[in-house]
Amino acid sequence: MSRYMAQVGAIMWKDLVLELRSRERLTSMGAFAVLAGVLFSFSIDTASVRTQDVAAGLVWMTLVFGGLLGVGRTFYLEAEDGAFQGVLTSPAPKDAVFLAKTGANFVLLFAVSLLVLAVFALFFGVSVGANLGWIILVLGLGSLGFVALGTLFAAIASGTSMGETLLPVLVFPLLVPMVVYGVGTTDRLIAGRPLAEVEGNIRMLGAFALAAVAAGAVLFRFVVED
Amino acid sequence: MKTDNVSVAGLRRGGMVLTLIGLAGLLLLFWLSFFWVSTEIRQGIVQRIFYVHVPAAWTAFLAFGISALCSAVYLWLRDDRLDRAAACAAEGGLVFATIMLTTGPLWGKIAWGTYWTWEPRLTLTLLLWFIYLGYFMVRHSTEDPEKGKRFAAVVAIVGALDIPFIHLSVLWFRSLHPQPVVVKPEGPTLPGDMLTTLMTGLAVFTVIFFGLFLFRYALEGLRAEADLRARQSTA
Repeated sequence: MSRYMAQVGAIMWKDLVLELRSRERLTSMGAFAVLAGVLFSFSIDTASVRTQDVAAGLVWMTLVFGGLLGVGRTFYLEAEDGAFQGVLTSPAPKDAVFLAKTGANFVLLFAVSLLVLAVFALFFGVSVGANLGWIILVLGLGSLGFVALGTLFAAIASGTSMGETLLPVLVFPLLVPMVVYGVGTTDRLIAGRPLAEVEGNIRMLGAFALAAVAAGAVLFRFVVED
Repeated sequence: MKTDNVSVAGLRRGGMVLTLIGLAGLLLLFWLSFFWVSTEIRQGIVQRIFYVHVPAAWTAFLAFGISALCSAVYLWLRDDRLDRAAACAAEGGLVFATIMLTTGPLWGKIAWGTYWTWEPRLTLTLLLWFIYLGYFMVRHSTEDPEKGKRFAAVVAIVGALDIPFIHLSVLWFRSLHPQPVVVKPEGPTLPGDMLTTLMTGLAVFTVIFFGLFLFRYALEGLRAEADLRARQSTA
């Protein structure tokens, strides 16, 4: 078990170090988040809609689109110089590779989701203070489910001739539950509603994330085998 | 090879028989639903689309179910026949889901007053339609066909696993936004002649699906055989 964790940790650490040095995906996702916030601010007629009422939906949409931008390139760098074959031929089992990739993506996307939240709090004047801890938990669970599906399908998409353009077609229909529960929960938390009202939704988000991680870990070996 | 040829011919004969029975049944279904069955009192004439809509929906879900099941067993046993069955069923599922998605809004425009509403079953079918669109896009965009089969099987399995989540979430979403009441007599509340027509529809659509499925399956078998021969002659 500890050996397994060490393998997961090693691959995850490698990915994070690579990202920290190149800052390729983090920069593009972060810039996307801020700029999407700017564009959304101009796309809403504040005379007819209160920005607080739509903020939760926009936070999640920014997270989904921005996340896809980064997650879609999970295997890009390694595929380019053939390094991914090396990872696959290492003694680490395939599900450990998947969990490591998902873990590294999760760290990135969770950081971006906090940035998105800050951006919308700033631009839209959304007060998140009252339920901040719970909002962060909800964003974390959503990010986890998203990266698990995203990583699995990024591996599939990178193996096709269509590449990343295929990713939205594959992932968006599957993300509906995450968006429904995520937005519904965030919306109520921002509005300062009592926690009891959203408990069930948070559990569903957790179940979705768990199922996505488990399905990805089991199915990943069929995607990367030769 | 000889045995394969025999089985392909048998499949085609079976497909032909089922399709002909299905088409004859379709005529019967149209006659029943246009002339025989009594008009539903609250919705009027528009309710008759129900006898096409519900069977199409049932067949689409059956087809997608077969596809997901065959995909899962394919990844396990790696028998090409399972992959072919999964792809053929998925194709049939897409066709019947398209029928469901066109007849549903036509009925909805009159019964609900709007073409589209996020009614849970409608939403689920739309999403399944897109999941299986992805299934075929993945399948046809790999250089190595074996890879495409594996990718497509993974898409089908994840899609099937996601169904309960999608269904629960759209149910919950709907409870937030109440829709006009769905006036749709169902189950034992359905009067006898309507039930007969509906059951005829279900049987007919199922038979047509399996007829088309066998045709497609035989065609895929021939295609695989032709590929094999082409490879052997180049080697």
